[in-house]
Amino acid sequence: MALLNRMDWYDLARTTNWSPKYVTEDELFPPLMSGAFGLPQNAWEKYDEPYKQTYPEYVKVQRDKDAGAYSVKAALERSRIFENADPGWKSVMKAHYGAIARGEYAAASAEARMMRFSKAPGMRNMSTLGCLDEVRHGQMQLYFPHEHVSKDRQMDWAFKAYDTNEWGMIAARHFFDDIMMTRDAISVSIMLTFSFETGFTNMQFLGLAADAAEAGDHTFANLISSIQTDESRHAQIGGPALKVLIENGQKAEAQKRVDIAVWGAWKLFSVLTGPIMDYYTPLEHRKQSFKEFMEEWIVAQFERALTDMGLDLPWYWDIFLKDIAETHHGMHMGSYFWRPTVWWNPAAGVTPDERAWLEEKYPGWNDTWGQCWDVIIDNVVDGNMAMAYPETLPYVCNMCQLPILGTPGKKWNVKDYPLEYNGRLYHFGSEVDRWCFEQEPERYAGHLSIVDRFLAGMIQPMDLGGALAYMNLAPGECGDDAHNYAWAEVYRALRATKKAS
Amino acid sequence: MALFPITSNFEGDFVLQLVAVDTENTMDEVAAAAAHHSVGRRVRARPGQILRVRRQGAEEFFPRSMRLGEAGLKPTETVEIIWQAPQH
Ligand SMILES: [Fe+2]
Ligand SMILES: [Fe+2]
Repeated sequence: MALLNRMDWYDLARTTNWSPKYVTEDELFPPLMSGAFGLPQNAWEKYDEPYKQTYPEYVKVQRDKDAGAYSVKAALERSRIFENADPGWKSVMKAHYGAIARGEYAAASAEARMMRFSKAPGMRNMSTLGCLDEVRHGQMQLYFPHEHVSKDRQMDWAFKAYDTNEWGMIAARHFFDDIMMTRDAISVSIMLTFSFETGFTNMQFLGLAADAAEAGDHTFANLISSIQTDESRHAQIGGPALKVLIENGQKAEAQKRVDIAVWGAWKLFSVLTGPIMDYYTPLEHRKQSFKEFMEEWIVAQFERALTDMGLDLPWYWDIFLKDIAETHHGMHMGSYFWRPTVWWNPAAGVTPDERAWLEEKYPGWNDTWGQCWDVIIDNVVDGNMAMAYPETLPYVCNMCQLPILGTPGKKWNVKDYPLEYNGRLYHFGSEVDRWCFEQEPERYAGHLSIVDRFLAGMIQPMDLGGALAYMNLAPGECGDDAHNYAWAEVYRALRATKKAS
Repeated sequence: MALFPITSNFEGDFVLQLVAVDTENTMDEVAAAAAHHSVGRRVRARPGQILRVRRQGAEEFFPRSMRLGEAGLKPTETVEIIWQAPQH
């Protein structure tokens, strides 16, 4: 029997809206879940997905993708890549799996909300496949790290990070809860798929895959580039929804959602991806700097996606362009200095050669972050380790939940952006974080940051031990210097030659 | 006497930090408490200079002997801790 071509039946098959007789439209599509923006069903029937795939096609393609990624893993299982990897590279894997794997399962539920509650039939089709994608991503990124759990306790965080109160995970949950777990179907399509997945997952999954291949970790490189092929498909769910909203006079609401989600994604990437690319990845394996990746994937590509769509650049674009050369250096210094509070071992990444690279990629680095690192390095070289650790908490932002920081040293520009709301004093890391909060204060006002929890007496005893227990960091899981300070030898030798001369 | 949390924005450092002080502390003591978490950890000491405290964004420093409880700061409000060369 001859099969019809896809396009001979696809449009008809996706015409699945009907006029409900026994319930109202609002009962069938509760606005809180559907995010109808006051538009009736038939307005959403104009939604036209750019990527049309049928279920049989999907299954066939996905089966091939899985076969590829799993067979690379199987082939390389005995090659001891993990055992022989640079400790900095192991930290990349640990940070990635912990922050991402379980979030993929959460994303499956966000896709499922679009699948059930969107009034746009085409969106329901695409997110059915998107939901299956996210289940696949969750499964793979739990299965792949599992072989390493017996070798390294920190790998267990691939599984448990999302269940903990570790500060970075509070930040990750706050962001993903905001953009995908607590939003209506249309807002999810804008905030998760269009704003987050279009550019930022490309950065993490393709940028990092390039570094992984350079580092010889072909299993990881194949895994995450396989995942990204799904992301780049279902990232297109949001575009047509934006078109419908703009055509129906809802541009301002659409733009606001984009602006909030892009900023949150940027902050999360500044702590997760920035340190990985510019400090943890061994120097000889770095393809580009974090800023260069950002410029390629976010600035150039995402800018185009926005303007093609008829949207404006976020109002804060100038602030953002400045921050992509700065914020992640502070996030790295913070997660390094507070290293017992993360589930991976941060690589300092500040040998003289690495500093020369940083200075070349970020002119002025030595006069700013370098000045703080000089003090840290001296303490490590002198064995004055008590001073190479903190004795208090960094103050964190009530929006992104990450440390409030800026550029130190000669260009010191650190600043708090406070706001009093209903008698409570909130602190923000930037004008933009504060603006996000102000768009819908009641949505965020009840949340307690890790510092708020500490001040409320929820972390006991009120010392490092109490904080680590609160963050679920068991002994043997707390981070320390990835290379056990071996990098300080270069500085010791430099000092010795200086003395001798 | 009452414990009072402030947020320290220390000149030359990269991050805001929570510092526990007391309403009875003078501004010099507040500066020293903040310095404990920055100087020698990520900020070099500046021999011969003193540290002054001001509200974030203010031009004027609080008097050195002023007690924290008299400054009208809210709990966790951010103060800037600024290096000052001796005045002649
Ligand atoms: Fe995914
Ligand atoms: Fe996705």
